[in-house]
Amino acid sequence: MNDRRKKHVRVLGIVASSRGIGFAVMEGKNILVDWGVKTVKGDKNARSLSNVGNLIDHYMPDAIALENTRSKGSRRRLRVQALTEEIVGLAESEHIKVKRFSRKQLNLAFIADRPGTKYALAEHLAARFPHELGLRLPPKRKCGMNEDCRMDIFDAVALAAHFLRSRGQN
Amino acid sequence: MASHQLSNHVRKYRKRSALSQRDVAYLLGVKSGSKVCRYERFTREPGFSTALAYEAIFQVAVSELFPGLYQRIEAGVRARAKRLMGRKCNGKPRRDSIRRRQTLAAIACVDFEQESTPE
Repeated sequence: MNDRRKKHVRVLGIVASSRGIGFAVMEGKNILVDWGVKTVKGDKNARSLSNVGNLIDHYMPDAIALENTRSKGSRRRLRVQALTEEIVGLAESEHIKVKRFSRKQLNLAFIADRPGTKYALAEHLAARFPHELGLRLPPKRKCGMNEDCRMDIFDAVALAAHFLRSRGQN
Repeated sequence: MASHQLSNHVRKYRKRSALSQRDVAYLLGVKSGSKVCRYERFTREPGFSTALAYEAIFQVAVSELFPGLYQRIEAGVRARAKRLMGRKCNGKPRRDSIRRRQTLAAIACVDFEQESTPE
C-alpha cells in the first residue's frame, strides 16, 4: 500500500476568542491543511458556532482540539467558556472526539525551555511551519497594544499539533 | 468517523503562496474568484486544463493538489485492471502476455507471482 492511501487522523484545532474563532486543520505527519481566523459581530456565540459547524461539514475531522477553559489558571471570560461548551456539544452531536488542553500543557509541550508566553509559542510554530505561518507572525506586542487576532491561528495550530503529538502521529 | 482524503489542497497552497482567490482566478484565466472558491469548497471539480494550470501555479503535482480526486480515479483504474487480468486472452498466448500481466498486476497492486501460473 503506498503512502497516499494511508489513513491519517485529521484534527481541527479551535480557539474561541473575544473576536470570534481561530482555527487550524492538521493531518498526520505535520501537514497543516488550513488555518485562519473567523471574525464575527453581533451574536458572537451563535455565529461562531455556525462557523465551527461549517468547518466540521467541510473538513469532517476525526477529532477536535480545544482549549481547556476550566483548567486552573484559565482566565477566559464567561462568554468564551460558554462557547467552548457549545462547541463540545456540537462535536458530540456529530460523534467527533473532543480533547481539551490547557495553556500549561501547550507551553510544556512546545516551549518548555523558554518563557511560556504566547509570542514564544507563536515564534516556535512559525519556525516549524515557515511556508504556512511564517508570514502570519504578528509583531511582538508592546504596552498598550491589543492582542493581534492572528495569534488565534497559532493557538489553534498548537492545539491541533499537540493532539497529534499526544497520539504519536508526529 | 473514517478518515478520508480531502478532495483537494488548493486552498492550502494558495494561502501558502499568499495569493488571493482573484489572483488565482486571473492566473487560471477565469473571470472571477467565485470559481476558485467553488474548487476550494469542493463543490466543483476542475477540468484537465485547470488542474494543469494549478500545477503550473503552485509547482506541485496534480495528484498532490487533488489527492481525493486522484484516489477515486486510482481506485477505479485498479478495479478495471483487476477485471482485465481476469479476462482470458483469445487464441494462442503471445510472447508479451507476461509483460502485460505484470503491468496489470502492478496497476492493480496484486502480487504477480500469485496471479501467474507456472510455465
